[in-house]
Amino acid sequence: MVSAAQVAVEVDGLSKRYGTLEAVRSVSFAVERGEVFALLGPNGAGKTTTVEILEGFRSRDAGTVSVLGHDPSGRPRALRERLGIVLQELAVEPNLTVREVLTRNAGYYPSPRPVDEVIALVGLEGKASSRIARLSGGQQRRLDVGLGIIGRPELIFLDEPTTGFDPSARRGAWDLVRALQEGGTTIILTTHYMDEAEALADRVAVIARGQIVALGPPSSIGGRDVSEATIRFRMPPGVAASDLPVPARAIGEFAELTSADEIESLHRLTGWALERALPLTGLTVERLTLEDVYLRLTAGSDGAGSIGAPTEQLSASVGGRR
Amino acid sequence: MSGLALPSKRGTVVADVMMVGRQLRYEQLNFWRNRFGAVFTVGFSVIFLVMLAMSGATHRAAAIGNIALIQYYVPGFAAYGLMSACYNNLGISMVIRRETGLLKRLRLSPIPSWALVGAILANAAVISIVQVILLLLIGRYGYNVVLPHVWAPFVLAIAVGVVAFTALGAAVSTLVRSQESAGPIVSIIFFVLLFLSGLWFPLTPGSGLAKLANYFPIHHLILATAAPFDTAPGASPYAWHDLLVVAIWGAAGLIVAIRRFQWEPHRH
Repeated sequence: MVSAAQVAVEVDGLSKRYGTLEAVRSVSFAVERGEVFALLGPNGAGKTTTVEILEGFRSRDAGTVSVLGHDPSGRPRALRERLGIVLQELAVEPNLTVREVLTRNAGYYPSPRPVDEVIALVGLEGKASSRIARLSGGQQRRLDVGLGIIGRPELIFLDEPTTGFDPSARRGAWDLVRALQEGGTTIILTTHYMDEAEALADRVAVIARGQIVALGPPSSIGGRDVSEATIRFRMPPGVAASDLPVPARAIGEFAELTSADEIESLHRLTGWALERALPLTGLTVERLTLEDVYLRLTAGSDGAGSIGAPTEQLSASVGGRR
Repeated sequence: MSGLALPSKRGTVVADVMMVGRQLRYEQLNFWRNRFGAVFTVGFSVIFLVMLAMSGATHRAAAIGNIALIQYYVPGFAAYGLMSACYNNLGISMVIRRETGLLKRLRLSPIPSWALVGAILANAAVISIVQVILLLLIGRYGYNVVLPHVWAPFVLAIAVGVVAFTALGAAVSTLVRSQESAGPIVSIIFFVLLFLSGLWFPLTPGSGLAKLANYFPIHHLILATAAPFDTAPGASPYAWHDLLVVAIWGAAGLIVAIRRFQWEPHRH
């Protein structure tokens, strides 16, 4: 159990409907202070609605929500002063400069970060006097992050913060998220990128069809840590699947087997091969990636329908990854 | 997300008023730096006035009581400038602010919603007042226009016009769903009604056009701002009937704006 002071966000039985569409159905979770919490889910799964309710932008139909000890539905200014919000698209007056916008927004908060510090944190030193309209897409996103942290927030909502970033800008954004977390900031992140959730999040909630279908650390969510491993190798010359010491099946030139105890299976397999001086070229051992788990959990839901695959197909493709 | 929050109890009234002032300063910076928008909104009233003056507006016209046309054009274009800032510019910019997510972002920030909306409306008022003063100076020193002896009726007409057309601008912005169509829709309504208003050519009293124009507020605002400039003996500087029509339209605009206002973009 965690005490109330350690909880940044607590959501219990949250529901929201638009007409006949149940966008969020009895969602419950808690986010601890200092935690990086990721919401994963296909478009239309309800993650944006959930976040917007937490931000106080949208009302809820049922359930209780506490954000930094406040009910966000009344949009208390005292709460808004402690939140940082980074939206997907930069929306700022185009004819103002980077410094002007940051200075203006700093004035909304009781104890903002110094403007120059924020400019340096998001790497816009050379662009401080440029008008927003003249920034590149990546620079605008960085300003967006700057606007999210200018008020020294205790809790930051990052809505797909690195969409459209090049790889080095992404790493930079990740470093910034980690630095904010080290400074004690709680972060709620929505993302489509599995590697991003894996690299940053302490815990991940997978949302599909308005419900949380899995919740846990990225390393163990969806049973990743206890799922069977897939062992794969090129079939040695002159060997049939029935000759192998493990129950493998032949897939083209390769042999593949799934095992709940891959140490034991590998030991038998490699011992057998050593005795006979047979090569096991292309040997790989893989567990479910976060993406596999995600696709399995969200299979059949809107938005994921085209890429969501049934479980059998998924497990067959597992060995082919990486 | 409709409805505007009441002023927050947090912070003093003075601090909140200063916040409006601060926000207004950035609104002004953003407006005047956009040369195209500034010329379209402010420059056109000046350009129209000067062009009409060059094409013989110093003549007297029987239709308006045998006074010099310029005496009518100066307050008329002051009204035009006001409507251009409060209705046209505000209406278009509110659609763009909403559809680009700018309103949503500010709604999520700690600035009180009333302070934000107040600054946006005050911005339109400041742009209007700048234009009115500019046109009065050009009229007075460029074309020897006789300014009103008593300013109260003119100030009243401008004040009613700013409030009413700001409300109408906010109202029309709620009827447009995309930023691409904001300019065309808002401006077409504006210019069609302007041509019906008798600004470019005085309407023949009793004509079908004059009757049609009578139903809309633009014509009446022009009459209300022109009345204090009427040098004809016995003319009243207060055009109460016209002010009333403008106010009724403004009230209707306010109701539409409040009922239909939303912070978030339509796209999704």
